Amino acid sequence: MENNTVISIQNLVKRFPVGGDFFTALKNVDLDLHRGEFTGLVGPSGSGKTTLLNIIGGLDSVSEGTVRVLDQSLDNTSHNERAKLRRKYMGFIFQSYNLLPVYTVFENVELPLILNKIDSDERIKKVNQAIEWVGLTSKRNSKPSMLSGGECQRTAIARALVHQPVLVMADEPTANLDAENSHNIMKILTKLNKELDTSFVFATHDEKIMGYLKRIIRLEDGKIIKDEKIKRKDS
Amino acid sequence: MLFKIAFKNLLGAKLRTFLNVLVTSISFFMIIFVSGLYDGMRQHAKQVTIDTEIAGGAYWHPMYDPMDPLLFEDAHSTLPPGIDSLVQEKKAVPVLVSQAAIYPHGRIMPVVMKGIDPNQNIINMPTEVLVKNKNTDIPVLIGREMASKTKLEMGDSFTIRWLDADGTYDADEGTVIHIMDTENFKIDIGQIWVPIEKAREMLEMKNEVTYVSYAKEEKEVNDLGTWVHRDVDYLIQDIEAAIEADKPGNQIMFAILLCLAAIGIFNAQVLSIFRRGKEIGTLMAIGMTRSKVVALFTMEGGINAVLASALTVFPFGIILWWTAEYGIPMPIDYTEMGFLMATRLIPVYSMGLIVITTILVFVIVITVSYLPSRKISKMKPTDALRGKIVS
Repeated sequence: MENNTVISIQNLVKRFPVGGDFFTALKNVDLDLHRGEFTGLVGPSGSGKTTLLNIIGGLDSVSEGTVRVLDQSLDNTSHNERAKLRRKYMGFIFQSYNLLPVYTVFENVELPLILNKIDSDERIKKVNQAIEWVGLTSKRNSKPSMLSGGECQRTAIARALVHQPVLVMADEPTANLDAENSHNIMKILTKLNKELDTSFVFATHDEKIMGYLKRIIRLEDGKIIKDEKIKRKDS
Repeated sequence: MLFKIAFKNLLGAKLRTFLNVLVTSISFFMIIFVSGLYDGMRQHAKQVTIDTEIAGGAYWHPMYDPMDPLLFEDAHSTLPPGIDSLVQEKKAVPVLVSQAAIYPHGRIMPVVMKGIDPNQNIINMPTEVLVKNKNTDIPVLIGREMASKTKLEMGDSFTIRWLDADGTYDADEGTVIHIMDTENFKIDIGQIWVPIEKAREMLEMKNEVTYVSYAKEEKEVNDLGTWVHRDVDYLIQDIEAAIEADKPGNQIMFAILLCLAAIGIFNAQVLSIFRRGKEIGTLMAIGMTRSKVVALFTMEGGINAVLASALTVFPFGIILWWTAEYGIPMPIDYTEMGFLMATRLIPVYSMGLIVITTILVFVIVITVSYLPSRKISKMKPTDALRGKIVS
């Protein structure tokens, strides 16, 4: 594996039991993702993009093949080891934000740092910084129920990035947002990708996102049908 | 770390936490209150018997057996010197017991006639009324239940027939001069009380006594002769036996209350935890291990139990204290149903009851927090994130 390889997947097969049979969601997928890449897993519903994202994040297991994330094989790691990997090196952004409703913006963003046992002073500093990245300083004490969809997603971004992970996975991050908010979110993510050198992997079929991606991996029926790198002016 | 998150979760979920704590606290309160009420009823029965009948204990004539009325005619004599001096010092009250028959409204009814010193203050009975009415031949004091059964009222006269010391039947008119309210059926049902001097005169048993009840905290006298000392433990053994026999019933009731409380707490906790499947999935996604998820939710349950205990102390504690201090008035008169019960029930909350209930409620809350969170943590994080229903 090259030094800057973040994800390395070989012959990945994922089957789900359906009734008495199995549905194959991913078929012989081979893929390498590198540090700092801004990659989209693109395809229609049922193409396997979310399944692939979940496997990369260690949230789901493989049926066949090997998956190495940050030089660690996910095939024979325990739940606890995978949890540690996610806690230290990964961030997640979900379509429906998945913010904890009883926490404020500050507390939601603080949670990964608490799990990583960062001391209080440093936590406050990092949380304030992350909230500033996403432009929510004035809303730091608001609860998710008081925020707009765009603000919720920005909070989720701050939570995913507060511990400055190597890899951030975003599952349809703009699906619940209008065009203006979607562009704002993508601009924030592009900026953070450049500043923090964090790798981003998106699962999406939102055309608005395509214009920001530097690598697009097209999936159809569980197979990669196209893998293209795109030169952007700002890259 | 987990404690901080658990505490934050509980504080943040204001209404949910309040409802969970309230349900637990109400269960806590109800178990203690109802069990205390039950214990109080039994304690009260014992205390009433001691106050109105036993006092500090008794000395019995060797032939006296309250369960065998046929022996009453032989169970009397003058007092041995040791007991007699106690009576003279007003530290004991003598009672002369005999069989008799009364004829209220022309119907015969066998009774136990007891002559008692009207000036006594050893047992809690209104015997002083027996000296106030000197116009009647035989002034009689009866209990409310006895009056109800015989349909006798204050001032009613009725015939009393008895067997005197010579074995001769005599009869005379007795007059009800007072009807006493008592919760001790043993001094009420089937009993008539007359002044002891009158009883001695009727029975031709001058200076004779069947038993003596002595004041509380009075020491046992030495010169008993053939008389027998009966301490409080002996005299309340029938009540103790009844309480012992009632224990399984009490335990069953405690278990039922605990089960009802457990179901209530279980419902509240399970609903609360299963609704948070997505939250659990999110915690796993950001790196919390399964064991920590279980520990977090179990800890939330534990804190919930602590808060419920605090709520039980205040304000429910005030209700418990108030009822223990002033009792609860009975809504209906149970004597009409043939029960002799206190007009106010005074619950007794023993330390054992409070400690055992607290431990059991904590065990229940922690168990019903642990089990569903363990089940939900075993889900795949992807299923939990989707908010998939746990079966």
